[in-house]
Amino acid sequence: MAESAAWVLALDHQLRAAVGEREMAHLIEAPTLLEVPRSPFYCWQVLVWNETVLPAMDLAAWLRGQPMQRQQPLAGVFAYQTRPGADPEYGALLLSGIPTRTRVDDDQVCALPKQPSSWQTLAISCFRQGDQPIPILDLPYIFSGGLL
Amino acid sequence: MSGRTQTTALADLRATRAFAVLTLDGRKWLLPQAEIQALESLLDIDREVRIPHSVGAVAFAGEWWPVYCLSGELQLLQRPPDGRRACPLLDNGADRFGLVCDQVETLTVAPRLLAPPACMALPDSPIQALVLLNDELGCVTTTEHLAALLAAVVENVDG
Repeated sequence: MAESAAWVLALDHQLRAAVGEREMAHLIEAPTLLEVPRSPFYCWQVLVWNETVLPAMDLAAWLRGQPMQRQQPLAGVFAYQTRPGADPEYGALLLSGIPTRTRVDDDQVCALPKQPSSWQTLAISCFRQGDQPIPILDLPYIFSGGLL
Repeated sequence: MSGRTQTTALADLRATRAFAVLTLDGRKWLLPQAEIQALESLLDIDREVRIPHSVGAVAFAGEWWPVYCLSGELQLLQRPPDGRRACPLLDNGADRFGLVCDQVETLTVAPRLLAPPACMALPDSPIQALVLLNDELGCVTTTEHLAALLAAVVENVDG
């Protein structure tokens, strides 16, 4: 049985998702977010990180189909590769809480949540943690413009 | 715009030595300095020369140049908000028009142009690059992209 480590992310007060342990690079509390005009409602800000700008993606807003008000923004910086062997690229996800680390076994695999139905666009797989299904995010798809 | 075309456009812009910063409602938009043909005052705008959706026109080099007013988000406005003082005339050889701005400055140092994140680039976005200006973000565009945006906005309004 294969076991691996993952980070469970709070996308808002209710929605949870996961990424691989090595995909999360940094966590920024109260990030400085800069607005980009004429950008999607779920990704209308960037944050400055390592002398570049990263998109600050609000997946909860995308999943719910409307902009979200965030009281105390928290941003995770995540690494992804668009193809094997490529240099890592980075993007940020807006979070509602500190990510928690967990271990996942193959026998935890489960179906994606039925609601919101758009989970199937974002997720490559899903595992069960207690009673809750936790979709695993497809970061290259999300940050390469797959949601546009 | 395809990824390859966008990469080419960004490479061209990175070869640009000087940029002008046009401030609209406090938001900073950068254009190649070479595309600023002249800098006029709002007093030079003849509001009686009505070109559809413009706020008037400026006589320059023997021609009337339509002048448009855009918000900081590049929405077409019917009249200039308070605080607009300058009217650069933009010319890329194919498109010619004026744009009323809060102010226009020239960057003394070539900025480092950053590619807009792929997940933020809506197909009709005029933003070709992003620039960090101290603690602010500037959006790089061109006269061609502003002209295309104006044409689309006008068509939308008329449609």
